[in-house]
Amino acid sequence: MMRLQFDEQLDLLNKELITMGALCENAIAMSAKALTEGKPVLAKTVPDLSVQIDHKEREIETMCLKLLLQQQPVAKDLRSISSALKMVTDMARIGDQSADIAEIITLANIHATDDTQIIHDMSVAVIKMVTDSIDAFVKKDMQKAKAVIDYDDVVDCFFDQIKKILIDLFSKPETDGEYAIDLLMIAKYFERIGDHAVNIAKWVLFSITGNKDG
Amino acid sequence: MTKRIFRSICFVALTVFLASVVFIMGVLYEYFSNTEQAQLKMQTSLAAQGVMHAGIAYFHDFEVTNYRITWIDADGNILYDSQSDAAEMENHLEREEVQEALAKGYGESRRYSATLMERSFYSAQKLTDGTILRLSISQNSILTLLFGMVQPICIIFAIALILSVVLAERVSKKIVKPLNEIDLSNPLSHEEYDELSPFLRRIDHQQKELRAQQTKLLQKENELDTIIGSMKEGMVLLSPKGKIISINPAARRLLNAGADCIGDDMLSLCRNLDLQEILSQALQGRQGEIVIQLQGESYQIDADPIASENIVKGAALFFFNVTEKEKAEQMRREFTANVSHELKTPLHSISGYAELLKNDMVKENDRIPFAKKIYDEAQRMVRLVEDIISLSHLDEGALDMRREDVDLYELAQRAMQSLEPQASAADITLELLGTPILFNGIARLLYSMVYNLCDNAVKYNHEHGKVTVTIRKEDHEAVLSVEDTGIGIPPEHQERIFERFYRVDKSHSKAVGGTGLGLSIVKHAAKVHHAKIEVKSAVGKGTTVIVALPVKA
Repeated sequence: MMRLQFDEQLDLLNKELITMGALCENAIAMSAKALTEGKPVLAKTVPDLSVQIDHKEREIETMCLKLLLQQQPVAKDLRSISSALKMVTDMARIGDQSADIAEIITLANIHATDDTQIIHDMSVAVIKMVTDSIDAFVKKDMQKAKAVIDYDDVVDCFFDQIKKILIDLFSKPETDGEYAIDLLMIAKYFERIGDHAVNIAKWVLFSITGNKDG
Repeated sequence: MTKRIFRSICFVALTVFLASVVFIMGVLYEYFSNTEQAQLKMQTSLAAQGVMHAGIAYFHDFEVTNYRITWIDADGNILYDSQSDAAEMENHLEREEVQEALAKGYGESRRYSATLMERSFYSAQKLTDGTILRLSISQNSILTLLFGMVQPICIIFAIALILSVVLAERVSKKIVKPLNEIDLSNPLSHEEYDELSPFLRRIDHQQKELRAQQTKLLQKENELDTIIGSMKEGMVLLSPKGKIISINPAARRLLNAGADCIGDDMLSLCRNLDLQEILSQALQGRQGEIVIQLQGESYQIDADPIASENIVKGAALFFFNVTEKEKAEQMRREFTANVSHELKTPLHSISGYAELLKNDMVKENDRIPFAKKIYDEAQRMVRLVEDIISLSHLDEGALDMRREDVDLYELAQRAMQSLEPQASAADITLELLGTPILFNGIARLLYSMVYNLCDNAVKYNHEHGKVTVTIRKEDHEAVLSVEDTGIGIPPEHQERIFERFYRVDKSHSKAVGGTGLGLSIVKHAAKVHHAKIEVKSAVGKGTTVIVALPVKA
């Protein structure tokens, strides 16, 4: 009876985590869409999403602590609850950073140039990472989690490319400084989101194997 | 079963044993007692004769045996007793055997000792002098005998028990074995003993009924599976907790779900929060629908609660591909917008020129050109409205149009004649090749098809260009091909030129005129005649449109 109730609670926790993941996906996708389609209006919804994500984080944290206290889980259950506790932090950061990107976009300093293509590619890569890391969590798929960790190199590579483009840009006298800096920050945020996706993937691996370094 | 049989066997064995012991003991004991009594009587009479001869002296040489001799006088006082001192003994007059001897000369009785362990036989005889001589002998009572037999009885009991166990085991095995060996799917093949046959017959009957029902059930299940499995629409059934109970192959493909997704949460298959929203609504008993993007196509998802007696027992999700529908919807919207736009443009010119004329702001010699412009624009509108009317007519299916045998060659000739002025204005040569071919179709549609194709060929041609129309017959098809040496159509536009109001040149330039509906009419006319249209075009070199009209045998 006790165990049945516990299982139900774990199930609910799992569901809440997936929902939070979906919210994160929406937030970053919306930011990326606003950026690449040049529609700052779309970015306006992202801060709302970010607030929702923060609420979810609190909810899930409370839930995890309650489970830890009341059920005193061991082994696999303990791992999945503790990794959930860590994962929500990363997810919340993804939400925050998506909101930060959205905020920069609403300043409307970014306009369509050749550079937006590469940032678009980068956003696609990051969205793929976030989606895959949550997929890995949902399906408890170690292969996918490892692929996410490896894929971080691609995103890092994009960041380096953008950095190089911006260095070239700064050497030209007619450069719009605000544009360049905003672009750099957006690229940095995307890069950070990629890192958070890697963290999520690592926690997924931990919850499956119990091994902290993948 | 074994226990019961054991108990009955045990009970029977022990009962029989006890009964026989009691009966035999009783009979034998009685028999021996009687013998003893008879012997005692004889001894008494012998002793009586001795006493009568020798008096008290008889007792002096009397060897004390297991007999006890008591000599009692007529008053009951003891004169002699072989075992105790006569003086201390009580009066024996009231004793049963003494009384009997006094009355009849001889008496006897049997008495149990106080502990019941012994029984004494008494026999008394009245001597001639009135005294009474009594002999008695003790015998073990039946109880003592029984106590002595406790050991053998116990052994027999034990043997009976063991035998019962073994027998019970065997018998129950023998009873149960054929029962276990019955082939339940074919019970009548096995008739070990008659007592079983009604039972077997009933089983057989029930088996048959079961089999029939199973077949029926399987058939129904198969039917349902086939229907659900071959359904193009995705279907997912969910439990009240939102877990997947059943998912058909279409939905599985759509959601990229593996075979093990039964029992999972819907959220783990599709992380669309809107879908989750309508799903939770459905689980609360409210219907909902949304359109979401799945695998690059639009799907409308209906979430319906499954309720019985007002309690929600789950929900069903249906996935409909609405990509085509949305496209059609969009095309309709575009069409309306285009029509209004196209109608508005000439109206603006007309009203502008008319206003100038009305206010008398036009110089005398400009009036004719102004009127001509108004006329031209009005004509453009008339053409446009005519095109729209014929298109909407075609949309209705052109059912009311009469089919007749039409000579395609003659048709093309007429169309080219009417286009001659425009062609010669641009110095374009029109050429008609081929032979007359009769085709059963709708003359007006075929004419507008040929006319529109030629019109385009002339309109989008270079100066001094050439338009070649060929009518020829191939196998079962009448082929009409219109070839020009014009500007050509870029490959990315070729697919869309048959859409209404679609222009390669986005500026809708008035330079070439036209309504943007010509090729739409061609497409519809071809559709009515089940014809195929093929477009070959190279930018700058020219375009060839080939229409293959199937000739009915």
